[in-house]
Amino acid sequence: MKPATTTATAIYGRPTPAKRIEIGIFWLLRLCTYLVLFCAAFIFWDIGSKGGAVIFRSEAPFINVKFLTESPETLNVFDYQGEKRTLGDRAFREFKASHETEMKGVAVDPYVYSAGGIFPNIAGTVLLVLGSILIALVLGVMSAIYLSEYASDGPFIRFLRLSIINLAGVPSIVFGLFGFGLFVIAFDFGVSLLAGWLTLAFMVLPVIITASEEALKAVPKGYREGSLALGATKFQTIVTNVLPYALPGILTSSVLSIARVAGETAPIMFTAAFVMRDELPWQVQKWTDFIFQGVMALPYHIYVVASKIPQNEYTRDVQYGTAFVFLFTVAAIAMTAVILRQRLRKKYQW
Amino acid sequence: MVTASAMSAPSPSVQSLLRPVVSVGSVNGAPTPLAPQIAIEIDDVDFCYGASKALHDITLNIAARQVTAFIGPSGCGKSTLLRCLNRMNDLIDGARVTDGQIRIDGVNIYDPRVDVIELRKRVGMVFQKSNPFPKSIYDNITYGLRIQGESNKARLDEVVEKSLRGAALWDEIKDRLHESALGMSGGQQQRLCIARAIAVEPEIILMDEPCSALDPIATAKVEELIHDLKKQFTIVIVTHNMQQAARVSDRTAFFYLGKLIEYAETKVIFMQPANAQTEAYVSGRFG
Amino acid sequence: MSATTENRSLGRLPTREALLQKRRGWFFGMSGDQFVKYLFQGNATISIIVLGLITFTIFRDAVGFIPMNHASLAVYRLAGLEYVDIYREQLTTHSTMSRYLASVRAQKLDQLMNKEGLAPAAAMATLAEFDDFANRFADTINEQETLLGSMTDLVTAVKERQTVSEDIMVGKQYLLRAMAGATPERAAELQRAADVLTVEVIDFKAEFQRVLALRPEIAAANTSQVAALKALMAGAPKFADSDLQRRMEKFQGFVQGYCQEVEVTAQKMAAWDQSKPIGWLESFNAFAFGRKWVTASFWQDWYGIIPLLSGSLLIAFLALLIALPLGVAAAVYVNQVARPVEQKIIKPYIEFISAIPSVVLGFFGIAMLGETLRRVSQIPALDWVPGFPMAERLNPTTAACLLALMAIPTIFSLAEDAINNVPRSFKEASFALGATRLQTIIHIIVPAALSGIMAAILLGFGRVIGETMVVLLCAGNRIQTPDLTSGLGVIFQPVHTMTGIIAQEMGEVVRNSIHYRALFMVGVVLFLISLLINWLAQKIVRRYRISIG
Repeated sequence: MKPATTTATAIYGRPTPAKRIEIGIFWLLRLCTYLVLFCAAFIFWDIGSKGGAVIFRSEAPFINVKFLTESPETLNVFDYQGEKRTLGDRAFREFKASHETEMKGVAVDPYVYSAGGIFPNIAGTVLLVLGSILIALVLGVMSAIYLSEYASDGPFIRFLRLSIINLAGVPSIVFGLFGFGLFVIAFDFGVSLLAGWLTLAFMVLPVIITASEEALKAVPKGYREGSLALGATKFQTIVTNVLPYALPGILTSSVLSIARVAGETAPIMFTAAFVMRDELPWQVQKWTDFIFQGVMALPYHIYVVASKIPQNEYTRDVQYGTAFVFLFTVAAIAMTAVILRQRLRKKYQW
Repeated sequence: MVTASAMSAPSPSVQSLLRPVVSVGSVNGAPTPLAPQIAIEIDDVDFCYGASKALHDITLNIAARQVTAFIGPSGCGKSTLLRCLNRMNDLIDGARVTDGQIRIDGVNIYDPRVDVIELRKRVGMVFQKSNPFPKSIYDNITYGLRIQGESNKARLDEVVEKSLRGAALWDEIKDRLHESALGMSGGQQQRLCIARAIAVEPEIILMDEPCSALDPIATAKVEELIHDLKKQFTIVIVTHNMQQAARVSDRTAFFYLGKLIEYAETKVIFMQPANAQTEAYVSGRFG
Repeated sequence: MSATTENRSLGRLPTREALLQKRRGWFFGMSGDQFVKYLFQGNATISIIVLGLITFTIFRDAVGFIPMNHASLAVYRLAGLEYVDIYREQLTTHSTMSRYLASVRAQKLDQLMNKEGLAPAAAMATLAEFDDFANRFADTINEQETLLGSMTDLVTAVKERQTVSEDIMVGKQYLLRAMAGATPERAAELQRAADVLTVEVIDFKAEFQRVLALRPEIAAANTSQVAALKALMAGAPKFADSDLQRRMEKFQGFVQGYCQEVEVTAQKMAAWDQSKPIGWLESFNAFAFGRKWVTASFWQDWYGIIPLLSGSLLIAFLALLIALPLGVAAAVYVNQVARPVEQKIIKPYIEFISAIPSVVLGFFGIAMLGETLRRVSQIPALDWVPGFPMAERLNPTTAACLLALMAIPTIFSLAEDAINNVPRSFKEASFALGATRLQTIIHIIVPAALSGIMAAILLGFGRVIGETMVVLLCAGNRIQTPDLTSGLGVIFQPVHTMTGIIAQEMGEVVRNSIHYRALFMVGVVLFLISLLINWLAQKIVRRYRISIG
């Protein structure tokens, strides 16, 4: 009778010390996890609230159109008849011309890039991303198809895969260095869109190849065999019975690489980005000028306004505004990819 | 030339059945033991995966419009041989026929001039694990024709009905042709794969353990189907299940360790095998 | 059935002919399938060639560094800059002592004003005697400084002439090379232009005689200085305060050391050999173990990677120190403890963090985090923390906090994968033996996933050390080797990094100059580090696969 009671007591027993330690440790783990989430959320909140104040307006059209459609300008801060005035460069020149006498001897503090907007930067980033993703996808997906469907396994292909995996881990600045040495200098493209496209494309190429190959490999072998056994050629098999099922995976990886390409600064710093350029990218004489021109880009602009101009009330708007536009654009792209991947994981489980 | 084209004409006339087999069809000119027309001649074939030899000197002739079963314990090479017949082994790195010939209609299918795609159209295959494509039933059946460039809707419809009827599936699924094939039961999926194979009108159908993943009822249906199909097609089936071999096949080949041990009419193999190993295997003493 | 037969006999080729028919070649005699295969193959080849070019370009531009640095060091020695630097070291020691004296003075002044409550003027008056001593001490170096100045002038003039003559030589070679493809008239013109250019060949030995001529003066200056110092020390001021007196005695020890150093330096200068050739290893070591990164200097440029490498490593280790516990804890929590709803939200959320562009994080560091951290460090209650209050808001710790946030998603995802791959049966077996969840995690799950977690840490480290924008914006960018012996406060001293230096200086260097190549050398080091990390991670993962079986 006695042993039975002990078992029952043990089963229904109060929390033992071990149990209490367990609860404590689990809370610690939970704390760590939520700390990470909180830190990230805080960054989004900080940039979202301060930058949002620059971008959004309380009355129609609710968006700071000027900021999104104009070029950066120098902001001039000066005392005018006892009050502080701030004017963008063009307006300031007009003002100075019309108030010549009053403006004599007035000290002016110029803050570069702090007035106007960031339109050329947005345009430049879009151009950079589109071009490089196009190049990377064509090369990457075709290479992946070759590696997954055609190449027979040998020491050379294994070496190739190894080097592709390793190149995926190479720091982006090294790709920038490579782009500078090869495209800008050896091929003499100069600081140009083309050099930036190629540099960014080759930076994400290993990632795209690896991810696409994985997506292709995930398509069951039976589909290929089934198709070939029905007399399809290899190419027909790939087009009709492999690619369509691998496409979602490839798509996810490419959306992720868009986020990566858009978010990188180091590779374009000395291959494609200009600090300041007056013309917009499409204001060119002939098409060769188009691909050989340098552009302004959002991430580089953030670097410039964060490091090259002081932090104060006059420069804060352009700094936070640019960071806001950039962060939330990249975040939206990444979010698409993350959601897409979640969906596809559920949908395609063979 | 005349003989060749006459032979390929598949009219099952008495004449062609009685015609002497072309000399290359028999080993060393000896008369073949097979009375019916020969669909595939396997002649002294060696096969290697990389350095390891999987098949040794296999020689056998497969009769047209009959069911030939390959039996034997796991790893004996029966599936390998089957996959040699439509060169599916080409897909495996380092796998190759190192010696001998496999002839269909007198043509060595490993001849470099042979068009593999055309070969696979004529020699269809059904796999161990049913592999319907994740498309609709209709698209599955028409896949083979579409990749050959057939786009005539009426013709496709006709083929779908004919193939599904041929696979005894028409009545079960005629109302949901445009639903995903992945929603069907396992047995239906496998019969769909058979329907898909016969839609391209092959001459020979290879079946690689088609029932190994099916329950007994589905298995019975597939076996029944095989029995019907042999009126039109030459069928080669690999099976683990000896009862199945006994039930469906006309001739049986027993393989062991990459060698053909015995090949004869199924009745003979199961009732009075000439070889002691065969007897041990069919009576369930090893394998 | 009859329809089938009909079809076959009508529409189809006989098997024999069908099998042997030739596919129509439609592109240079290739079949479509072959063509497509070559197309894919061609693309793969392009990818591979370019990816190979990366390695090649970086190494090609970097390799030239060694001979160029070799030449630079050779001129450094031949022109006598090295000789002058030996002497300069002696003077540096002297000025260090002067600074020490000044700090003693400051301490005394502080005592006088804050403890004894003297007015500034009165305090200064009290210190007059000490100041006199300090001034007399400072004066003892004047003669040497004059000598150093004239030696510096002599050797820089020689170096300058050498640089000019090298430039002329390059120009001449350029002209002569251009002659090869030119018309005869043009060639003659070029030849004339080249003839005008005369390359001065400098006789370094002869030039150096003028520096050597100063030797007796140096010796005389040394003797008189040592004598003056000894006389000065005899009348060194004394302090009542024991601490100050201790420091004063320490100073006297320094002076004695200095007097010995004077002799050692003189010996070194006598033993210095102008004609001793620079070894290749020496010029490589000047990069790999050099502790100075000085560029665009009028004197001598140094390209030593140590300050950059140590800065990068310091930041990377700090970042890992933060990211590792958080990342692994989050992985264990999400995989083993969290409810399914939490899992569903946290996993994509953390993956999503990795998409925050690094430049935005860097900006956040400048605009927000750096200032916040500095404010925190100024709280008096936290004075016990080494290095607090921070002198700079941009320092390794600021950068490391942000980098940790970048590394956490990498570590989290891979560690979570590794934990997920632990067979369920392990866990069930442990539960069946009556273990609690925590015991199972500690004794079964984590050890089984350990190598996966290790790989995750390595790759996180790779991510951190290769990151550019955050360190460029937040590390402070001061080229100095963090002095770990001076205590933990070093983590708040600004450093520069390998990635940062490339980003900062690449835009401004002269193409193919030694500086340009030095930056490529740094790139090579980064490249090799990333390869090493990848290789290690793969090795670990492979071993782990085998052990799980």
